[in-house]
Amino acid sequence: MLTKRQKRNNRILAAVMLAASLFFLFPVIWMLANSFKPDAAITADMNSMRAFVPPALNGDFFSNYVTILTNTRFVRYMCNTLFYAAVLIVLGVIVNGLAGYALAKINFPFKDRWLMIIMLLMIVPMETIITIHFLFIAKLGLLNTVVGYVLPMIVNPFNIFLFRQVFVSLPDDVYEAAQLDHCSPIKYFFTMVLPMSQSVVATVSVFTFLNVWNDYLWPSLVFTSSDLLTAQIGLNAITSNDNTTTGQTLAVITMVTIPVILIYSFFSKQIVEGVVSTGSKEG
Amino acid sequence: MSFIELKNINKKYKGNEKNSVTDFNLNIEEKEFIAFVGPSGCGKSTTLRMIAGFEDITSGDLVIGGQRMNETAPAERGISMVFQNYALYPHMTVEKNISYGLKNMKVPAEEIKKKVDWAVDILGLTEYRYCKPKNLSGGQRQRVALGRAIVKNQKLFLMDEPLSNLDAKLRVSMRNEISQLHRKLGSTTIYVTHDQVEAMTMADRIVIMKDGVIQQVGKPMELYEHPDNKFVAGFIGSPQMNFYDVRVDGNCIIFTDGSRQKLSDSVIDKLKGYDSVIMGIRGEDLKFDEQNLGLFADSLHKAAINNTEIMGNENNLYFEFGGITSVARVSKYEVSQIGDQVDFVFMPHKMHFFDKNTEKTIVSAQ
Repeated sequence: MLTKRQKRNNRILAAVMLAASLFFLFPVIWMLANSFKPDAAITADMNSMRAFVPPALNGDFFSNYVTILTNTRFVRYMCNTLFYAAVLIVLGVIVNGLAGYALAKINFPFKDRWLMIIMLLMIVPMETIITIHFLFIAKLGLLNTVVGYVLPMIVNPFNIFLFRQVFVSLPDDVYEAAQLDHCSPIKYFFTMVLPMSQSVVATVSVFTFLNVWNDYLWPSLVFTSSDLLTAQIGLNAITSNDNTTTGQTLAVITMVTIPVILIYSFFSKQIVEGVVSTGSKEG
Repeated sequence: MSFIELKNINKKYKGNEKNSVTDFNLNIEEKEFIAFVGPSGCGKSTTLRMIAGFEDITSGDLVIGGQRMNETAPAERGISMVFQNYALYPHMTVEKNISYGLKNMKVPAEEIKKKVDWAVDILGLTEYRYCKPKNLSGGQRQRVALGRAIVKNQKLFLMDEPLSNLDAKLRVSMRNEISQLHRKLGSTTIYVTHDQVEAMTMADRIVIMKDGVIQQVGKPMELYEHPDNKFVAGFIGSPQMNFYDVRVDGNCIIFTDGSRQKLSDSVIDKLKGYDSVIMGIRGEDLKFDEQNLGLFADSLHKAAINNTEIMGNENNLYFEFGGITSVARVSKYEVSQIGDQVDFVFMPHKMHFFDKNTEKTIVSAQ
């Protein structure tokens, strides 16, 4: 039972947090409101509170969005990105999951050293090794291919670490019981380990999706063909076009931003559970 | 040839100086219920896990059904196992937990259904068939684990402390269920427990272990009445046997507090050559009733009760005697109060004598 004082403190805290979140949401609200307006209206509303209010619902309400979706290849870029994310989620869960499982449950020489090396790799920023990745992919002749884009993105030291931390606490007797049930090690991984670790699988999947969705540098190096571009690169291509209006630019940005916000809001519980169960947080 | 033969089995973990299991020799017949019992770290679970194939055998031979199994994979040994922590698959329903092994063994779906129906029926799990383990109680989970083991029709059941996570009442009922199931299925069972009551009540034969070495193998009452050494005598039976350091003097033994106990000629004969020995006697062989006090009046002892445990069906009386806190188990009608001065006698033919150095039995109860 909360005391009167605790109730009052909670109310104050809620008000402060609401104000803070509104402050951080201002640019998003502004973007959303103006993405429905023609450029003239955006300029006219610029210096008033109307800048945060969408226009009245009429026939032209979605015109910026319709123009972007019909006159540009943005839908294609979105689909590309979703496809890359799906491929990387599946491959990432399998490859990083297997590596994490080996580090958690299988005894092999220098296991602890391997784990240490993988943990050290977590602090190496992607930007520092991207040239090596690029040269490697170029040498293999995989530039401008999906494989070339996906290959260096599959292995992720942080995800391996996340998986390892969760798998290490899985009970060994379940594996032993499965062995007696004629379950092969690979089958055990897919039918037991992954389903028993749903929260970390969800966490890794969300992180992978966000990585792919937000990544700009790597796809801009690998892809030159407009058929293969991702949403972020597409966004840049569309917004740098002189014919694109401010309203249309904001509409594209809104469409790129919304999935990230939705994913975070839908999976925030799993992300927190997954990260908490590993005793770590993304650095 | 026995169904299972363990010949000179040794287990030594890398980096350990001592063996975890040393020279383990045991033959187990078909349909036998064998209990491995002993204190924590005595090697009973390690031995079971070597039989299951989860631990390598450092040296020795494991033969099941006439075949050497040392290097055989666990799934190929023809065994089922029930684990201490149930080891259920948490994301699968009761039905799927039970049928998982059968599916992997490519048993036809019709037969799987029949077997699962039979198992859930026999174990009283029909209404929980589609529940997941997290929605079941400890006893129900253990029944699912049993179900998973019995549907596979294996000839050998291994059980690793299956009841240790259950509360006392449930343990008693599950004990009964497992015994009945064993009789019904007729499969050979090896049951590991640290609870001597479980071993005594369920097993055909008990293997008592200490520090990786078998101390004695025998039927429950053999171990209770004729322990091979002080460890077995102390481990089996509750309350624990009373052990007194005594001096042999003529046809008597003298306790550290000076009390004397007359012995029969046959016992004295066997104690020849010993100056001092350990005398052991179980709580129920200390008598307080008029009839026994009259019968053995030449060795009457006195004690002041300093604690009592009322168990309902019987009472435990505690008192200082012979330099130790002794315990006597008396009927519920023999009520004593703390502070009572009482006379008692030791039943002479129920005394055990152990060598002080080797702790081996010199004379066992008759």
